[in-house]
Amino acid sequence: MTDIRLGGDLECQTCGDVATRMRVLAVDEGEGLALCLDDGERRRTVDTGIVGAVLPGDTLLVHAGTALIRERR
Amino acid sequence: MRFVEEFRDAGLGRALAGEILALVQDGRTYKLMEVCGGHTHSIYRYGIDGLLPEAVELVHGPGCPVCVLPMGRVDDGIAIAHEPNVIFTCFGDMMRVPGSHGSLLEAKAEGADVRMVYSPLDALAIARRNPDRDVVFFAIGFETTAPSTALTLKRAKTEGVKNFSCMSNHVTIVPPLRALLDSPGLEIDGFIGPGHVSTVVGARPFQFIPADYGKPFVISGFEPLDVLQSIQMLLVQLTTGRCEVENQYGRVVPWDGNRRALEVMAEVFELRPHFEWRGLGFISQSALKLSDAYAELDAERRYGIPGVRVADPKACQCGEVLKGVIKPWQCKVFGTACTPERPIGTCMVSPEGACAAYYTYGRYTRGREAIA
Repeated sequence: MTDIRLGGDLECQTCGDVATRMRVLAVDEGEGLALCLDDGERRRTVDTGIVGAVLPGDTLLVHAGTALIRERR
Repeated sequence: MRFVEEFRDAGLGRALAGEILALVQDGRTYKLMEVCGGHTHSIYRYGIDGLLPEAVELVHGPGCPVCVLPMGRVDDGIAIAHEPNVIFTCFGDMMRVPGSHGSLLEAKAEGADVRMVYSPLDALAIARRNPDRDVVFFAIGFETTAPSTALTLKRAKTEGVKNFSCMSNHVTIVPPLRALLDSPGLEIDGFIGPGHVSTVVGARPFQFIPADYGKPFVISGFEPLDVLQSIQMLLVQLTTGRCEVENQYGRVVPWDGNRRALEVMAEVFELRPHFEWRGLGFISQSALKLSDAYAELDAERRYGIPGVRVADPKACQCGEVLKGVIKPWQCKVFGTACTPERPIGTCMVSPEGACAAYYTYGRYTRGREAIA
């Protein structure tokens, strides 16, 4: 999953065990999904199944489209 | 950016490098293995190895899942991609990994419908949009990525999406570490442990390493100061005679991991009796296949795959690189016949592969000069 990061660097999220910090814009609680924005202003739909309830404004650490951690506010 | 800039501070980096230098004991060398491909990438991207004293040597471990995938599994994926009516989806780097008769990218050029996706959720969306096609997701990765696949398969099952299936190549981190530690002649003094894998599995599964093998283990973040501090923590342990698992990446990694992630993985997957790792051979219970409850979504059961074991190209020494026996530049084909543009071995494919990292960040030249 090669992704162009902020530094213009190429890296594979899977191989690199990389997680991207994303901000929650909107939540679909019933589906366990959240629309998120990364620091490069890209929007992604993220599965929140393993981090529990999230709220708009929360920051998530996302890997392969799934939130691994919800950062404490 | 919070949690990023403060971990790239040059002054703090130099201070940590000074602490590491002060910890080095006369006449002693320290061989530390970074397990994770992401750490390898950080080390070369930020020049961390250049800050370390000569007595501290970093060895690159087997933590890049693309790099440890044997050619036979690539061939199996390509065979499915060539099945009629199939849309074959995978992560980007997987497309360039050479099988015995080409890569998925070449299969695409030959007419197979191979598509790059960002997540398994994207593959499921393709299946929903194409109900008359069969969509296969080629899943790869350690425990960091496996929950994502598991959640998507659970979602597909709940929704009753019949035209979606998954070929699982997920692997687990502990068995290869044990296999490495059991390798004769392995001279590793300590481990820089994987960061995001540990958000899922926690720190506890690594306790056997200090307990049974007497090697310290520090779970590390990926920013330059994270890696430097982890090296410093390992040297403190080695110098003081302490030997335990420590968690440098405590801002992200809970000691007990993520219970929800472990539960969904246990529901969707089960351990394979054995799985082949490039360079390490067959390792018992080191990979995940779909459980019987998810059999109908299992591409390996849905399609006939060759399942043939394929030997690596003779010239390629990825196996030795992955075990830390040789440095990438010591491989006969490094930078000549094998380059990121035309890789022979998997370690040259992914930017996190040790060979690609060496090549990209200029270690090619230094290495060749060093042995000249």
